[in-house]
Amino acid sequence: MKRNGSPAYDVAIVGAGIAGMESALTLGDMGFRVLLVEKEPSVGGKMILLSKVFPTLDCASCISTPKMAAVAHHPMVDLLTWSEVEDVRKEDGGFVLRVRKKSRFVDEKSCTGCGDCEKACPVPIPDRFNFDLAAHRAVHIPFPQAVPKKAVLIREGTSPCIFECPAGVKAHGYIALIRAGKYEEAFRLHMEDAPLPGVLSRACYAPCEGECSRKELEGPLRIRMLKRFMVDRYYESHPEPEEEGPEKRREERVAVVGSGPAGLTAAYYLAREGFQVTIFEAREKAGGMLRYGIPPYRLPREVLERDLKNITSLGVSIRTGERVESLTQLKESFDAVFLAAGAWEPVRPGIEGEGMDGVVDAMTFLPRVFEGKFPRLNGGKVVVIGGGNVAIDSARTALRYGAGKVEILYRRGREEMPAHDWEVDAALVEGVSLVEWRAPARFIGKGNRVVGVEAVKMEPGPPDESGRRRPVPVPGSEEVIPADLVILAIGLKPSTSPFAGEIEVNPDGTVRVDPTTMETSMPGVFAGGDAVTGPSMIIQAVAQGRKAAFFIAQRLIEGKVDPAKWREFLPPPERGKIPGLGENGRGRPDRVPPVAVREIPTEKRVLSMDEVEEPLTEDEAVGEASRCLDCAVCSLCGECSRVCPSGAIDYSMRDSAETYHVKSLVLSTGFRLFDPSLKEQYGFGKYPNVITSMQMDRLLAPTRPSPGVVRPSDGKAPENIAFILCAGSRDRTVSNPFCSRVCCMYSVKQAQLLLGALPLAEVTVYYMDIRAFGKGYEEFFQQAKGMGISFVRGRVAKVEEGPDGNLIVVYEDTEGTGRVVRAEHDLVVLSVGILPDLSIAGVPGVREIERDELLFVREKSEVVNPGATNLEGVFVAGTASGPRDIPDTVLHAGAVSAQVGAYLLRRKEVRS
Amino acid sequence: MRGPRILVFSTINISDPGIDLAGASHMEYPASVEVIPLPCSSGIRPSWIIHALKRGFDGVFIAADGGDCAYHPDCTTLTGKVVERAQEMMREEGIDPGRLKMAAICSVCAEAFVSHMKKFSRYLEKAGGRE
Repeated sequence: MKRNGSPAYDVAIVGAGIAGMESALTLGDMGFRVLLVEKEPSVGGKMILLSKVFPTLDCASCISTPKMAAVAHHPMVDLLTWSEVEDVRKEDGGFVLRVRKKSRFVDEKSCTGCGDCEKACPVPIPDRFNFDLAAHRAVHIPFPQAVPKKAVLIREGTSPCIFECPAGVKAHGYIALIRAGKYEEAFRLHMEDAPLPGVLSRACYAPCEGECSRKELEGPLRIRMLKRFMVDRYYESHPEPEEEGPEKRREERVAVVGSGPAGLTAAYYLAREGFQVTIFEAREKAGGMLRYGIPPYRLPREVLERDLKNITSLGVSIRTGERVESLTQLKESFDAVFLAAGAWEPVRPGIEGEGMDGVVDAMTFLPRVFEGKFPRLNGGKVVVIGGGNVAIDSARTALRYGAGKVEILYRRGREEMPAHDWEVDAALVEGVSLVEWRAPARFIGKGNRVVGVEAVKMEPGPPDESGRRRPVPVPGSEEVIPADLVILAIGLKPSTSPFAGEIEVNPDGTVRVDPTTMETSMPGVFAGGDAVTGPSMIIQAVAQGRKAAFFIAQRLIEGKVDPAKWREFLPPPERGKIPGLGENGRGRPDRVPPVAVREIPTEKRVLSMDEVEEPLTEDEAVGEASRCLDCAVCSLCGECSRVCPSGAIDYSMRDSAETYHVKSLVLSTGFRLFDPSLKEQYGFGKYPNVITSMQMDRLLAPTRPSPGVVRPSDGKAPENIAFILCAGSRDRTVSNPFCSRVCCMYSVKQAQLLLGALPLAEVTVYYMDIRAFGKGYEEFFQQAKGMGISFVRGRVAKVEEGPDGNLIVVYEDTEGTGRVVRAEHDLVVLSVGILPDLSIAGVPGVREIERDELLFVREKSEVVNPGATNLEGVFVAGTASGPRDIPDTVLHAGAVSAQVGAYLLRRKEVRS
Repeated sequence: MRGPRILVFSTINISDPGIDLAGASHMEYPASVEVIPLPCSSGIRPSWIIHALKRGFDGVFIAADGGDCAYHPDCTTLTGKVVERAQEMMREEGIDPGRLKMAAICSVCAEAFVSHMKKFSRYLEKAGGRE
């Protein structure tokens, strides 16, 4: 049935615990159309998680499962799980509900409930259906009896490390896989987003580490070093790539101009799609800045060579020594072009003597040194001009190439150097000296050979348009700094001059592109990397190459580009949802400092181009990966999707909202448990062997998380168990003056079941008074006494931890000596009270429903109209209206169903 | 050596979770038991049972919902009829009707299921190979 385009029902029931299910089935049997909305991924509420029902000791799950199956299959009941009511509006004598269907990231129709995803997932999280006694995985089936029996993938957004990476490399994903020992899977995951893992593991500036949530605790994870661990391991066992490219090759040909990180990345992903890709490289060898700009002590050349094989093994041909001068010409023989020529043109200072012998720019100096073609420096004095990473690389390279002394001249102060702080530090440690606030005025030569730099002192002047204070020379401060070699590293410009007439180029030489698709002003010609951004990071170039490849493929296959199809990440999780950071974060992580990275000693490292950092051992890597907080829960490692036999995993799924017209509304939102950590004297959360009664019920249930009843600290079967009643009930200090009604009896039940499970155990119940008011309850209590369970009257003052994780319960012996007694137990169970579940209380429309002083929903008159609230057509069933045991809840739900039925029929009469 | 092959018809709502639980709790039962889930045991056709027994299964076990069935309040009676008819057909075919068993298995009846499988397996072993 539809109404104004949205589905219509006689009644909507919110909450599918025992009360909600009971109401839904009864109203459905009466012939009303029922919408049942549940916020959890399964129906069943808390009852399905319990061991037995008191006093009959019937199996709780055996009673629940048939009802759960029945609501899922009842022809008159439509069930929405993992859904939340967001808005309730009164309209035309009924209500309009807006319901948000939370994304499962699993297609319910194709999921068969096999659980393979769970076995593959590397992210463990506390299992809330076992009340944190055990862990389950980020993707899981809630519990074996779940209805629907479908997996749900918990995602709190995208982990900050992934979200921050320009290329979207799934750092959290490969970290989780490393933690699980799945090193090869980790490597393959990286290849989905960036094909140069070796290069990135050495030379990436790792923006991910800057966003790592551990930063706020003891320091970020060494993500780059973890990547290096996984790459080294993989390359050692796979000297040649596994990938050979797709079987189906396409006709279209794509030309890539430049073999730097942007060009290589684009070529890789285009070749994976089956395109025929040719890279044109002006220089002698492939790699661009990676080969000619980054010193081998930061990026060993064998790592670069192995990375290059990832691209060439797919059939990409790299034509070196071929400089492209015209895009138009290239376009004649290729279907699309990707321009990634980089930024190689040195900025010249434009001062006297810069043409002399012994004055070189960094982009001439570095490649020649790396190729061994630059004359050795033989103890000479080197002056480097500039403050960026290229200046630092030049200085450290010169030192390794035999310079006697290296000085960096920078026209501002150290804090303003564009180079990374740690690079500057490394240079200083190695013996490079930094001369701040100094700029060259001219170069002094003997004949045509430089012998010194006339430098002038600088000082901060007035701020320029960027707000930075422009340095101005101090008149008369000139001095001469002797130099045998001057290296200019004051900036690089894009190498785009040959193409300026063909495509639109900005005044600074960068290529103008559509930032979403990377397409230039010439259709079919795309551009990326430093040619577009100006000198930037490797990972930025990789990102642009990846994106351009996506849109080039789209252009060639579909004939047009559609920016909407580019991947979209969920935003990072709210800070408060990250474990250890928020007040209510999941868990409290152990404090572990970052792994120490070993480096070869300074005096040794300046003698060679050998790599400075030493790799992590396997133990170090797994330990470091285990520090990960799993910020967004799901790590996007893709393992579940890889193993799912029915392809049900869908990361692109998003929450959706739907409106429903209903004539009446039943709130059966149940209860939540008192948080016993608020009673600090009982030590919950501090002493592992103090647990809640709900946890004890899980330990006693047939679906228990462990093979038997065991205590958390050491897994031993307890021998002497204490129950502390009224933990958080009848207690004004925590603002819960009322009796929760169920704790006495469920504790007696648990005590009896414990004697069944552990026949030799001693069980003591500390109580204020035993409330055994229902049919068979008193007999049940007497039966427990008869079984040998001790009942001690007196409120426990505090619990202390003794030896071996045992607990000392301190209480006043009111029935005996009157003295304060200290009794030792090896497990303490806090019989926690029940509180109203307020998760829906703030929803517009629900706010208007009156609640009592304890915040349970107020029944207008329990006796006259059970379940009726202050609002006409709105009813409350079960523990949402006050503490009840299971028989009373079922009874109440039945009574409310009758009320709702009567209301609906009366309403029909009045309206007709 | 593998024990007798047993085919179990189980229901997705009730007995499946119970059987799953046996596995999840690492309980042991003969590896030669194979389970086919279906919505309701009353939908089983006697001919399927005969087919299974002729094609190499030594026994067939119906893990029924009984009164817990989500579809038919009289599921027990309906399934009972299926069993009755199947056993008639088995007699006609000269197959021992004891090779077909039915029991109610609840969603946490892991132990009960395991014990049924062990007992049934022993019975089939004693009964010997099929004629």
